[in-house]
Amino acid sequence: MDNFRKKFIEEATEHISELEKALLELERDPENKEIVEKVFRIMHSLKGGGAMFGFEKISEFTHNLENVYDLVRNGQMHVSKDLLDATLASVDHLTNLLDDDKVTLQSTVDKHKELTNKIGEIIALRQAISVESIKKSKESTEVSPTAKSAKEDKSSTYYILFQPNETIFDNGTNPLYLLDEIYGLGSCMAIPHVTKIPDYSEIEPTRCYTYWEIFLATSNDVNSITDVFIFVEDECTIDIHKLSDTNLLSNKQFLDKLEELHKESKDIGINDLQAFVSKLVSSKTLKEKKAEERAVATSKENSISSIRVSSEKLDTLMNLVSELVTTQARLSLYAEKASNTELIAIAENVQKLSRQLRDIAFSIVLIPIENLLTRFQRLVRDLSQDLKKEASFIAEGTDTELDKTIIENLTDPLLHILRNSLDHGIEDPITRMKLGKPRHGTILLKAFYSGANVHIQISDDGAGIDQEKIRQKAISKGLITADATPSHKELMDLLFLPGFSTATNITDVSGRGVGMDVVRRKIADIRGEVEIESKVNQGTTITIKLPLTLSIIDGLLVKIKDTFYVLPLTSVDKIYAADHSKLVNTFNNLIVLDGQQIPFFYLRGEFDIEENKGKNEQIVVVRYEDKRIGLAVDTVIGEYQAVLKPLGKYYKNQEIISGATILGDGTIALVIDTNKAIKYFSLQFSQNVTPEDKK
Amino acid sequence: MNNEVKSKINSYLTFKLSSEYFAANVSKVLNILEMTKVTKVPKAPAYMKGVINLRGSVLPLVDTRIKFDMPETEYTTNTCILVLDIIINNESVHVGALVDSVQEVIELDDVNIQPPPTIGTRYRSDFIEGIAKVGEEFIMILNMDLIFSTDELNLLKESFVEGQEENVK
Repeated sequence: MDNFRKKFIEEATEHISELEKALLELERDPENKEIVEKVFRIMHSLKGGGAMFGFEKISEFTHNLENVYDLVRNGQMHVSKDLLDATLASVDHLTNLLDDDKVTLQSTVDKHKELTNKIGEIIALRQAISVESIKKSKESTEVSPTAKSAKEDKSSTYYILFQPNETIFDNGTNPLYLLDEIYGLGSCMAIPHVTKIPDYSEIEPTRCYTYWEIFLATSNDVNSITDVFIFVEDECTIDIHKLSDTNLLSNKQFLDKLEELHKESKDIGINDLQAFVSKLVSSKTLKEKKAEERAVATSKENSISSIRVSSEKLDTLMNLVSELVTTQARLSLYAEKASNTELIAIAENVQKLSRQLRDIAFSIVLIPIENLLTRFQRLVRDLSQDLKKEASFIAEGTDTELDKTIIENLTDPLLHILRNSLDHGIEDPITRMKLGKPRHGTILLKAFYSGANVHIQISDDGAGIDQEKIRQKAISKGLITADATPSHKELMDLLFLPGFSTATNITDVSGRGVGMDVVRRKIADIRGEVEIESKVNQGTTITIKLPLTLSIIDGLLVKIKDTFYVLPLTSVDKIYAADHSKLVNTFNNLIVLDGQQIPFFYLRGEFDIEENKGKNEQIVVVRYEDKRIGLAVDTVIGEYQAVLKPLGKYYKNQEIISGATILGDGTIALVIDTNKAIKYFSLQFSQNVTPEDKK
Repeated sequence: MNNEVKSKINSYLTFKLSSEYFAANVSKVLNILEMTKVTKVPKAPAYMKGVINLRGSVLPLVDTRIKFDMPETEYTTNTCILVLDIIINNESVHVGALVDSVQEVIELDDVNIQPPPTIGTRYRSDFIEGIAKVGEEFIMILNMDLIFSTDELNLLKESFVEGQEENVK
């Protein structure tokens, strides 16, 4: 049983987070019936599951919620801010209810009561209001038939041909009363036809010549329409057709078509119209689909059938695949040495298979970044309320996938950045208006692929960061001298220093200056980089560059003395042969390759290894920022799939090496982080060279 | 193995650095390896010898002699690597320690272990758990956890913790 409970908790947690997401969507689009349905459905499964596995509190509580959303679903209640606030608070409460330890806490019990009462209130209040509003809307129906339509998405549209016999007046029946009754059923449009009315001289006042074509959009079924005509059935021709399951009278295209048809021929008729409607409906659903695809939080995974796998198993799988790749490298090496053609063929096959297996295994642990975002939407919503600011959170590229370890480690830095944006970036509505900006601030999160990296950009349209302020602060902290003229980028980089905050007042949200350095460190831990771009009064953009995956990289295997190194293939541009004499004892570390001057570093020199005795060496040109930089090595061995193993971070201060990998023969090769290495080398270079130049 | 059980183990592995004898509680020693190929990591402090391949994982290697302010280890046929299980902040971290030779495993009752002298020793007394006399030799029983995590190796301590985090991932 415990096992089942565990499963339920797991499932419920997922439901709750889905619920939260749906509610936030609903806030943006309160009229969307589909989302209401979804909310209702999730609540229902929570209720059912809760009751089944002995979480009575949950089932009781969700039952109340369900009641509220049942009203919403039936159009008897509107999605209001109060309602959403209460429901979101309830969602938090539900999470607590799931936790056995917390259920018994006094605070939880109190919260439970409070929320239950609040929901009760909402129901009572809304029922009172909704009765009134329904009354009102009924009154207005007769005036304008389409006014009510927005609320009645549930309704179907009927075509009614009502053709009274000429003798209908004989019984004292007034057809107009019947029409009135039909108007009472829903929104309605009646088109009278007067073509049968004879010339004035021949009119018999006791005869009825007019007939009507009526379009009725109603949530009632067809019986209620026939009921209207029940007493006159014998005295008229009634023809009722269902045109559509939707309310066509709120559809502009349909109304236009009606008018057109009405002008063209005297009778509108059913045949033409039915064809038109079916076309209309199909084009509409297509449009809806497209809109859905475009919608920010539309999730891809709903349509993908999936199974639940414990993350432990995935980790094991990843480890095994890594081992397999290593072993495969060994096999290939051995096969080549043994120069047995058959063995080589087998080894190649294994290589191909393991590569595929590797790719699949990696795609399994990749999860869309969307999983992160619900939390952020909630954060922005709640925080902006607390701070009395108006801001919305928009996410683009939510289906961008990242390694789950990266995603897990990304949450805290991103939360921090968002908090900063809200607290210091977005101004309060009044200031914004004064500056001629829209009241409502926007925080945009954009995720996209860029080569072997994923970029995540968080930009706000807030106050931005004043460069001058940073400069002053840096001077007062003694970080730069008063006459220094650091570049924009250098100034922005200062923000990542510990204890550096330009915010003048510290709030409990942010401003203590412990922020950005932690952000940078955390992101560096997952081999990412952060940059800030900011313009005063235009906003701030923070870009995070992340590797797609942490554990395997395609690399270029090179050798320096007796040590193997791996350079990430993504940064390698080109390989050249170079004469030894051109590499050592150069004045400015420049070499001409392909007619271009390229700065280079002699790695033996940088690594404090004695000079090579040999004549020929090779230069690997790598991309560094937007430049090309050469790294001179003894020999280039070839391409290599490196399974990254941490150096145990014993070598924490040693940023040049980002990890190690084990080669086929068991030797360890070190993986060079080219960006950091070049940064480090150039720093040393400038420190060494400048004093000499001055002499 | 929890700490209670560990404290009851009275077996000690003795080893030599230069001409001096040291001992470590066997619960700290996972493995004794022969000298193997070491991959030197550039730009690392001198006592960080490099990394070795321990059955598919990467093990950092520390030159224990440099740590004890002795000249760098010269490799001989007797040179061994002790794979140690170091506990820092309740987390276990593996590290390889180079020693000149491994002697034997001895049993020492607590009564045979004397507290370290507070003066007259080259080594900081808190690194030494006690001194035992076996035959003609004095053997210093080392506090491995402390040695591989404190003071001049402050840098080590920091990296231990973070290295551990990475392992957990």
